[in-house]
Amino acid sequence: MSKLLHDIKLIGDDIPWLKDMRSAGRDAFAVSGLPQPKAEAWKYTKPIRFFAEDFLPAPHGESCSSPNKNLPFNACKIYFENGVFCSCDEDIPQGVEVLPLIEAIMFKPEIRGKIGASADITKHQFAALNQAYLGEGVYIKVAAGTKVAKPLVIINHITTDRELRQYSLRNLVIMEDSSKAEIMEYYCYDGELKSSYFVNMVNEIYIGENASLHHYKLQSEAYKAAHIALNSVFVAGYGEYKSFCLQKGADLSRNETKVILSAEYAKTEVDAAYIMNGWATIDTTTDIEHLKPFTQSSQLVKGVIGGQAKGVFQGKIHIAPQAVKTEGYQLHKAMLLSDEAEIDVKPELEIFADDVKCSHGAASGELNADQLFYMRSRGIGEEEARQILIDAYLNDVIAKIDNQEIKQFMSMAANPLKERE
Amino acid sequence: MEESKNNIEITDSSGDKYKYGFTTEIEADTVPVGLNADVIRLISKKKGEPEWLLDWRLKAFEFWQGMKEPTWAKLQYDKIDYQSLSYYSAPKQKVKPQSLQDVDKELLETYEKLGIPLKEQEVLAGVVAVDAVFDSVSVATTYRAKLAEQGVIFCSISEAVKEHPDLVKQYLGSVVPYTDNFFACLNSAVFTDGSFVYIPKGVKCPMELSTYFRINAKNTGQFERTLIVADDDSYVSYLEGCTAPQRDENQLHAAIVEIVVLNNAEVKYSTVQNWYPGDKDGKGGVYNFVTKRAACRGENSKVSWTQVETGSAVTWKYPSCVLQGNNSSGEFYSVAITNNHQQADTGTKMIHIGKNTTSKITSKGISAGMSNQTYRGLVKISPNADNARNYTQCDSLLIGDKCGSHTVPYIENRNKKAQLEHEATTSKISDEQLFYCRQRGIDEEEAVSLIVNGFCKDVMQHLPMEFAIEAAKLINISLEGSIG
Repeated sequence: MSKLLHDIKLIGDDIPWLKDMRSAGRDAFAVSGLPQPKAEAWKYTKPIRFFAEDFLPAPHGESCSSPNKNLPFNACKIYFENGVFCSCDEDIPQGVEVLPLIEAIMFKPEIRGKIGASADITKHQFAALNQAYLGEGVYIKVAAGTKVAKPLVIINHITTDRELRQYSLRNLVIMEDSSKAEIMEYYCYDGELKSSYFVNMVNEIYIGENASLHHYKLQSEAYKAAHIALNSVFVAGYGEYKSFCLQKGADLSRNETKVILSAEYAKTEVDAAYIMNGWATIDTTTDIEHLKPFTQSSQLVKGVIGGQAKGVFQGKIHIAPQAVKTEGYQLHKAMLLSDEAEIDVKPELEIFADDVKCSHGAASGELNADQLFYMRSRGIGEEEARQILIDAYLNDVIAKIDNQEIKQFMSMAANPLKERE
Repeated sequence: MEESKNNIEITDSSGDKYKYGFTTEIEADTVPVGLNADVIRLISKKKGEPEWLLDWRLKAFEFWQGMKEPTWAKLQYDKIDYQSLSYYSAPKQKVKPQSLQDVDKELLETYEKLGIPLKEQEVLAGVVAVDAVFDSVSVATTYRAKLAEQGVIFCSISEAVKEHPDLVKQYLGSVVPYTDNFFACLNSAVFTDGSFVYIPKGVKCPMELSTYFRINAKNTGQFERTLIVADDDSYVSYLEGCTAPQRDENQLHAAIVEIVVLNNAEVKYSTVQNWYPGDKDGKGGVYNFVTKRAACRGENSKVSWTQVETGSAVTWKYPSCVLQGNNSSGEFYSVAITNNHQQADTGTKMIHIGKNTTSKITSKGISAGMSNQTYRGLVKISPNADNARNYTQCDSLLIGDKCGSHTVPYIENRNKKAQLEHEATTSKISDEQLFYCRQRGIDEEEAVSLIVNGFCKDVMQHLPMEFAIEAAKLINISLEGSIG
């Protein structure tokens, strides 16, 4: 049996289509295995090194302790502990449906065509592995016309007393026509800094006509953890998907976002920031597909890399034939703080239509010595001055967050000095 | 939408025949079809090569047999049957020509049609020396004497093997080893001829060196190998221009260019590539798989690649710079134009190893008709390359809604003191610019060529004068019929 594939008892194996999906995922992963060193989609991120050891899947339906993560702002919290759905705040806004994924699978037959439909298991090895254990996660549906006032926050909390576990979670988000919501994912842990576990996320997001989803993510896993996430987003006409992801934890981390702009005037903004020290590899991968005319996309990714860490950005803009009058914009900037840090960037444009405006830019360099000197000459200590500059550097992208409270929260998270206050 | 359709529409009216599409009837001395160790021994024997070179070829061949043809490029072409090609073809001539009078008349006429000033040496009066390559063997080399006065060696590589074996042995394969890639390995095994240039210490080459290549005999692939060595404090500007006669069958061209640049030396390498691109339905055309690489070994060394790519059905080409010496610099200027069914996957690699190394990349791609074009580049900064600097700009212009333009840059930075910038844009010819020209009585085709030439200007200005004029004409010819 392949590594990472284990026989465990899963809830819902009596549902034939779910069972079929799980075995399809299993078979696909058994064939593909982990991404090989020569795989182009994983050119700079080498997961094999991390998976020298095997990880056991978390059993379904384990109990969890009471939720203990508080957020500094008002939100509707959906709480997972060690990969298991724990609880959900009772005051769910009107028009929003929140269910543990397994319950949605059992009682909402209409989701059958949605789940697994966008995350291609022949292309995404980890999505195949995720599908093999399909069952945990959350189902969120926002009814047509609903404007949700407060953000929904999915907290994935790992208590690190269980070493070498893998947690496969899948969230299904359906935004019906003309609805509007904000969803934030928050990955955190308690306990041993250096504990090793593997979080394998798949988010499948469907955005209806004229609907809008703002999707935020803060990845703050333990130092020796792996966090691999695939966000597969489908946007209908006039729909909007706007996301921001801050990655600052884990030893191996990848946030991959695939957005399909399927109809005219669909638009997306996929922004990200990362900050990393130590030995970690931190990967931001995007793939934006413009299938129809008048679609728009914009990406801004900024990273700060120190220690012996490696930052990876692979961004792709694809414009299909006939998708004219489209606009695609992409910018990646990275700052190297140490001699052994590394940045690898592959911004890619694939354009099959002529009447388009597409551009990408990439830059990397170090902290500006003049700016540092300016602050030192005014009596600011080196450490603090560096932090202020880094903070300002990342602020470009964090400032784009619309929700003030989440912006504040992300800004804190990106700055260890502020966190101490 | 309507507007763009009116302005840029693909018509199939491109009836223009390839300007240089003629074939010279010369008896060719061709080795039997197919590739095996015996064929390589035969090539080597015919060329009277020393033992070490044959051994090297055989080693390359053995290695090649274990290699797979690369498939990562965004190119689609019929599989090449390497066993159905003939690997050696030289014009039949019993005695080596001593002067131009001895050269085959038909051959000279061919060059005349191409406008190569071979017949009368005074024509370009000391400006250009032409080492004309007809198929695989150098036919005549001009200006050799004048160059020899300065100690410059400019001859065919097979002559160099005989006359300067030490230099060739020292540098051949040192920049592009035979293990490098599939096509380079094939070339190493079967290369027939090419140019060799050596510029001695402190010499500024008094004229621009130029080689014209022509593919001629049917079904022979061309496997050219060029080696340029610029010793300390020297300078040379080298021109390479290509045209090929019209053929229906696809012809394979797998060349290697190796450049070694030592302390304070500078090499400027300019190419105009105009192989037969196939007809308007995508039939025929040359397959062009070229490995070009320069090693800036010395301190303060400099290399600059300038290319204008308008021909070939399939282009696979990445002129690269390995910046080993401290303060060395590499430049890459490229204009690539694809029309009808042409495909080009081209770009550059800048590998920064030494300290204070700089590189600049300017790439302009123009796709029209049903063509597809990819810029693929690598900028790599190794941990020791303190203060390395790179600036990359790739712009693409699309003409018509059936073509594609892709950009795949790889940027790998392992030094915090390095500063890298990359910019890329893709767009179509702006309606406003077109309108402006039309309004002043310039017809559409001319307006487009005006705009395209403006778009390419950054690159064209790096070409030597004679080349720049030819290249500007070529751009217009290449785009003919793409605008309706």
